[in-house]
Amino acid sequence: MNPDDLLREIGELAAALGPAVRPTGADELLRSLTETARQLFGAAACSLALLSEDESELVYTVAAGEGAADVTGMRIPSSQGIAGWVVQSGQPIAISDLGSDPRFSRQAAEQTGYVPQAILAVPVETRGRMLGVISLLDRDPERPGAERDMTLLSLFADQAALALASVEAFGDLGRVLLRALAAAAAGDDLTVALGRAADSLPGADAGLAALAGAFAALARRGPAERQLALAVLNDVAEYAKGWTSRPR
Amino acid sequence: MDVTTSLRPAWSDAFAPDALRPVPRIGLPIDKDWAWGGASGAGITVAVVDSGIDAAHPEVGAVERAVALQWDAENQEATLSEGPHEDLFGHGTACAGIIRRAAPDVALWSVRVLGRRLSGKGVVFAAGLRWAIAQGARVINLSLSTSREDYFGLFHEIADEAAFAGVVLVCAANNVPAPTYPAQFSSVISVAAHDGQDPFRLDASPSPPVDFGAPGIDVRVPWLDGATIVSTGNSLAAPHVAGLVARLLSKHPRLTPYEVKTVLRAVASNAVTGGAGDEC
Repeated sequence: MNPDDLLREIGELAAALGPAVRPTGADELLRSLTETARQLFGAAACSLALLSEDESELVYTVAAGEGAADVTGMRIPSSQGIAGWVVQSGQPIAISDLGSDPRFSRQAAEQTGYVPQAILAVPVETRGRMLGVISLLDRDPERPGAERDMTLLSLFADQAALALASVEAFGDLGRVLLRALAAAAAGDDLTVALGRAADSLPGADAGLAALAGAFAALARRGPAERQLALAVLNDVAEYAKGWTSRPR
Repeated sequence: MDVTTSLRPAWSDAFAPDALRPVPRIGLPIDKDWAWGGASGAGITVAVVDSGIDAAHPEVGAVERAVALQWDAENQEATLSEGPHEDLFGHGTACAGIIRRAAPDVALWSVRVLGRRLSGKGVVFAAGLRWAIAQGARVINLSLSTSREDYFGLFHEIADEAAFAGVVLVCAANNVPAPTYPAQFSSVISVAAHDGQDPFRLDASPSPPVDFGAPGIDVRVPWLDGATIVSTGNSLAAPHVAGLVARLLSKHPRLTPYEVKTVLRAVASNAVTGGAGDEC
């Protein structure tokens, strides 16, 4: 394929996927989320810790408030502590008198220099997959509506999970496109290269990449074909909502 | 702490003092005194499926049996080792302490299913439950459950195994309003937090999937290193009910899980005769 055609194809593909591939910066989004939560809950600090790839550690990715600079980047084993219990059990927990937990106080003092009295921690998970934990330190429990904080923070956690899931999907898409581009640059047709890149990914990712390939092919057809494809896709998505896999 | 500004986990709204609706009283001569008056939980085994139990904590007392389960990634199975272990997080110790307060003479078993990794967690959790059922635990406290649809069938099967074996599963309702298993199943007793502190006060939920409310908001519980902390979560309400069930069974050992649920409903604080709550 000549370079001009290749660029045109990439341009068309990018335009078709535009809304999906225009993240505002995941870190910024998550940082803004923790800062918003911190202010909304009147808390001393708010942090997001994500499970490492092998799930053995929690990595503090973003934080706002007291001790934020020290806690960011910190790694703790996912097999201990309050944050560890939250990701392992999938249950939120609130503790309003941490001062009497000597182990926690000691660790907090050593690691961040800030020793909280209270913590509220909720899991961050997509459907079926645990991603991490959001912790709020010393929230203001006297605010009106503070009794709903566990539910509210869980809503924040859902937002964080959605952001993380879209970043992950974007990363997958990027990997497929890069591989396809590399192959196309070496002389392959882009659609064929996309298909091959899709085949190189395992499981669900392969399905996603194949879908991207199909979109690329559709993008080159007329509006009527695109309209038909969209209608079918919407029907499938609607049907899939009510469909669950329940192996016995 | 002022009750009006305390945290309220999901499903606890029904148990707020101004929201609690009456439920019809069951017309049987059953009251708290009949149910567990003078009982101590003696002769009843309660398994705590959680993060382990710190047997050295003064509020916990003896742990009769302890097993730790782990995921063996190589062989893709759960492995089990019996012997004393520590509590990794503090939560299992909190549950054990709550059960001990309600039923001082129960035999506590620690079934540790939380550990180093999350992978295989559902299978490890299921294996721990099955071990407790097979070994003859009479009451099992589960302050954790899974939201993964893949495990619906497996946990449904285990919940049935428990019910048929006469084992009472007491589960914490999820802290957010979404189904989790086995807490969602009708054969288990699912519990959310009410904001009372009286460990013998039980509220009946007027509507499913939650069955009962028990103390779980700002409750003082044992934790790691001999400490106590003040904590909130439905996961702390469940062991209150597990303790009461142990007390009940120590006095009435032949009750089935469904009869246990009926008795708990009969002694609920909001079970009333007349008006909205006509006698059943």
